[in-house]
Amino acid sequence: MKIGFNQINKHFGEVHANADITLDVQSGMIFGILGENGAGKSTLMKILSGFIQPDSGEIVLDGKAVSIETPADAIKFGIGMLHQDPLDFPPMQVIDNFIVGQRGGLILSHKDVIKAFRELQSQFDFSLDPDAYVDTLTVGERQQLEILRLLWLGARVLILDEPTTGISIQQKEKLFAALKVLAGQRKTIIFVSHKLEDVEVLCDQVAILRKGYLVGQVDAPYDTDQLVEMMFGKQIVLKELESVAQDKVVFELQDLYIEQYPLAIENVNFSLRAGEVIGLAGMEGSGQDVVLRACTGLLRPVSGRVIVNGTDLTGKNYLEFMQNGVAFLPASRLEEGLVPGLTLAEHFTVTTEDKQQLFIDKAYFRQKSEQMIEEYHIIGRPETPVESLSGGNQQRAALSLLKDSLSIILLEHPTRGLDIESTIYMWDKLKERCKLGTSIFFISGDLDEILRYSDRILVFFSGRVSPPLDSATVSLEQLGQLIGGKGWAKEFGDEETYEASTNP
Amino acid sequence: MKKKLVFLVLTLVMVSALILTACQPAPEPAAEVEEPAPVEEPEEFVFGILMVGPYNDRGWSQAHYEAGEYVVENVPGTRMIYLDVVNTADRPGTTAAQLAEELVQQGAKLVIFNSDDMKDDAVEFTRNNPDIFVIHASGDTQWAEGENYIPLENMVNVMGEMEYGKFIAGCDAALHTQTGSIGYLGPLINEETRRLTAAAYLGAEYCWENYLGNDPNDLSFRVTWIGFWFNIPGFTEDPSQVAQEFINTGVDVIISGIDTTEALVEARKATSEGTPVFAIPYDYEGACDEAPEVCLGVPWYNWGPAYVRHITAAMQGTWESVFEWLPPDWNDINNRDTTAIGYLSGPGMSPAAQDWLQQFIGELAGGLNLWTGPLNLQDGTPWLAEGEVATDVEVWYLPQLLEGMEGRSE
Amino acid sequence: MKQARTRSLSILFQLGGLILAFGFVTLILLSIDANPAEAFRLIWQGAVGNSTRIASVFVVWVPLVLVTCGVLVTFTAGLWNIGIEGQITLGAIFTTGVIRLFLDTPVHPVLVIVLSILAGMVGAAIWAVLAGLLKVFGGVNEIFGGLGLNFIATALNIGLIFGAWSRPGVASMSGTEPFPEAYWLPTFQNFRFSWYSIALTVVGLVVIYFLLQGTHFGLRLKAVGKGIKSAFRLGIPTWQHMLLSFLICGLFAGLAGALQVVAVYHRLIPAISSGYGFMGLMIGMLINYQAIWVAPIALFFAALNIGGIQLPIVMKLDSTLTGVLQGSLVLFILLMQGVKQRVLGNK
Repeated sequence: MKIGFNQINKHFGEVHANADITLDVQSGMIFGILGENGAGKSTLMKILSGFIQPDSGEIVLDGKAVSIETPADAIKFGIGMLHQDPLDFPPMQVIDNFIVGQRGGLILSHKDVIKAFRELQSQFDFSLDPDAYVDTLTVGERQQLEILRLLWLGARVLILDEPTTGISIQQKEKLFAALKVLAGQRKTIIFVSHKLEDVEVLCDQVAILRKGYLVGQVDAPYDTDQLVEMMFGKQIVLKELESVAQDKVVFELQDLYIEQYPLAIENVNFSLRAGEVIGLAGMEGSGQDVVLRACTGLLRPVSGRVIVNGTDLTGKNYLEFMQNGVAFLPASRLEEGLVPGLTLAEHFTVTTEDKQQLFIDKAYFRQKSEQMIEEYHIIGRPETPVESLSGGNQQRAALSLLKDSLSIILLEHPTRGLDIESTIYMWDKLKERCKLGTSIFFISGDLDEILRYSDRILVFFSGRVSPPLDSATVSLEQLGQLIGGKGWAKEFGDEETYEASTNP
Repeated sequence: MKKKLVFLVLTLVMVSALILTACQPAPEPAAEVEEPAPVEEPEEFVFGILMVGPYNDRGWSQAHYEAGEYVVENVPGTRMIYLDVVNTADRPGTTAAQLAEELVQQGAKLVIFNSDDMKDDAVEFTRNNPDIFVIHASGDTQWAEGENYIPLENMVNVMGEMEYGKFIAGCDAALHTQTGSIGYLGPLINEETRRLTAAAYLGAEYCWENYLGNDPNDLSFRVTWIGFWFNIPGFTEDPSQVAQEFINTGVDVIISGIDTTEALVEARKATSEGTPVFAIPYDYEGACDEAPEVCLGVPWYNWGPAYVRHITAAMQGTWESVFEWLPPDWNDINNRDTTAIGYLSGPGMSPAAQDWLQQFIGELAGGLNLWTGPLNLQDGTPWLAEGEVATDVEVWYLPQLLEGMEGRSE
Repeated sequence: MKQARTRSLSILFQLGGLILAFGFVTLILLSIDANPAEAFRLIWQGAVGNSTRIASVFVVWVPLVLVTCGVLVTFTAGLWNIGIEGQITLGAIFTTGVIRLFLDTPVHPVLVIVLSILAGMVGAAIWAVLAGLLKVFGGVNEIFGGLGLNFIATALNIGLIFGAWSRPGVASMSGTEPFPEAYWLPTFQNFRFSWYSIALTVVGLVVIYFLLQGTHFGLRLKAVGKGIKSAFRLGIPTWQHMLLSFLICGLFAGLAGALQVVAVYHRLIPAISSGYGFMGLMIGMLINYQAIWVAPIALFFAALNIGGIQLPIVMKLDSTLTGVLQGSLVLFILLMQGVKQRVLGNK
């Protein structure tokens, strides 16, 4: 199906999220929509899939102007959207989820549905168990299920919004292969991403959005520098990084044993040196978040010891870890990181330790927050509530709230959802701290990020933790194999073999 | 900054408003009636009644309400205003004295407080409003011989001598019980309720022994207090449950001392389920209507004549502060124009008992006094020696239940 | 510019809620053949018609303001202190207990009154912290814990009034024996209210306003209330702050209960909390937890309460009608806040 956007405009308050966007997408192609966070990509897709209405402009399908008022309308027109967080119904079985949303028509027997499901997924080399429960699936598998479901509902256009976030390399490859099969079947694929490398390998054509405007359309093959320049309006150069690790050990895990259903993580021994950056790699739910939380006192280990700067903090709570120079930036910024409803200035007031008299010196903290806003390039004002900041700005704000003299910063997915510019900025700031002797312990689902920024890497698979790997000697492919549970015996001389069979 | 300012200004405004209004001389109610009363009768005399329960409770409060209507019928130029459920549980944050002031604001020149529980408020109000006449029903503060004497020119105490009604009720119960077990559904505990409960017990004993010829030891008389004159969920015990409890433990006649008719309702329920149970309600002549078939009779108050007398006196300037404890009119204890209390037989009463009861009433009219020794208090202390007759003060301030009664004395 | 516009819009929505609430009550009145204009006029007259009535309004205003101040603290910490009723009751019980203790001693009545008020505050604070401990360490939601503690407080109160503290020979709902006048908080002329109560209330109001608006502690409480996980992660000891908020709320509830005893009833009565706790929660919601509005809105509610007494006297209407008006005010204004968010938020 051929899709036309005709002079689409959409405002959110004072933000012009889509400005006069006119764009044609031919059927049978994989069409990329590229842009940094807040460029208006998701808004445009939500308009196409009926979640929101444009202020003006129209959608033209196969030459006919249509009005798409609800997601159900969109499905009726054959348009299906996969969201960043796949919208599914977790307590259900895969097969039930698959048939949910089907309208009337003939009701197939359970057996027939399973047969149809298997046939459909075999086209794409997916291997979902129809009887498994949805909440046991990984993000990538839920995505596969969602694709199958939309196709089953008759989608001829598939919109994928940042689909490669949070899935493994294998799953990503499978996804891309499937999308190519679909394009071959004359389906239209719209692929929304801020990741250049994904767009480059996958898309036949790409449209670039910046600050709500359509900057241009480019056909494959692409010139990376040109795409970057179109996205950001300027050239971005990745600096070479060097390790600033010192010899002094600031943090130690000794024989740590942690239980967090369904995982039991045993025998974690590890020491972190001042200024060192350690990346924790693994598929989501492999135990890296559990270990990280045990390192901050948010989770109590069953046995073993956690030693910070020579002090045994095992069993102490998070506040005591904080007092000993440990800071933690969690992944869910508005649930665990920042307090929604409080302004930036209030955040600085709560976290700053100076000027602690009875009454708040509002002028002082206002000035302080203005200074931090400036220093950390936060787009916002002291009186801006944090929840109205964009994701990247929230992350910068969270970073700016960290105390100056810290021994260790632990981060969960520090750059998830951030565009390249924000990511680079984030790491610049972190590396600055490393130079001052702060160590970093971080989880990321992005193996490139792990390889690029870590001095050493811990690989997690199904609750098992690898010995530290030197990032200089590990390749992306090797790492990809390891997080999928392959090659552990070869790498670590381990007797047990791990197959990628975490899911039933 | 701006907010602080707003706040300060608001506070200031409110406080100054209060000062302005409060610094005026104390209110003179008569001068301050905000809406002119209907002018067709310039001599109109408004009296107000504060009732502790609902005005239509088929009990104590309704008896007062109907007495008020009786006054309006019989004393030309009077008008009644009233406020019911005057108690702190139902009208949180108010006091009876404050509500009496509201009646005065509406033009009342005489206020009737209808509960002993309002004693403190009635006195406070009477003191603060020397121009207003006050009738405190069931009070004792104007009784020179009494223990709570507080002379107040503008207050009158009125009480029917309900002890007679309770003698008859007790007798009636004893004549009907098959199990020999009588339950008394008590309100709160005070002097009034103690002496009324004791009277019911004495009446029951007398008829059980003298008319039926039974052994007094075979008669069980049990009191359970719910805590107030009527059910206030959460604050009192549920009278329905208490009545059920009586029935479940063999009681087949329930005498009610509370202002409402739960005893009748439960008796009817039990009777319809095959356990014959009778009840004797209290206070109000129409109380039997709730469940006539199980109603043996009702001792009732007739406040009308006394109110007519005192209100007329107030209007004619012949008011006198007195304490009145009024016996029934023995010529016809149910004469609405003359008696202070009465006993109406209910449809549940058996013909045989009817005759005994008439005989008993005749004996009382002839001077039978059941407050005659020997009588011991509940804990065994002698109260009246052989042949000794209790004085009014002794009866009014009965310190405990009597020996032979089961239940709390205080 | 934009802020000013949103603010005036939001006042418009609040007004809309107010009008809807009055409209709703008008409909009820019409449905029972009562004249709404007359009813509203009576309520107004009943509240401000003369100085006695205004004084009565302030008698109700005092506990309402104190209680609302208290629940603002727990609301700020994200807690629903339903147990406030029981806390008022405990405050009253402790106050009565202390006065009884010193009744026949040579200790100066003024000192006794001061001590008894402090005891009331402590007693209520203990009761409040109990709800907090149940929440923090027992995992009992403060709403259920509070309801349970309310129940126990009522039972304890009635037990004392009917039992240990009953008047000699009397067990009655009318309460314990009134204290001698020396132990009353002096009232102003013949009015029922005391300047001391008003003064304490104004002090409480100022304390709460600055505590919540201007102190580090208040801001930390706010952080705990808005996002407990994040607040903890930012280094705020969260459960300690929750307990402290209960404690402060308890102090205010206790003061309200103590004043009910020493300034209003001069004895302990079964319904000593008079439902002011729940009303305080309603006011807290109505004013969207802004301390600045406590005094005027509490005054409004108190006026409705006092003015409502006229309805049964003059129009033979049930005075709970003013309760309906108060309840519907809260409902409709919250409703309008929701509508406002829909209208302004999404499109």
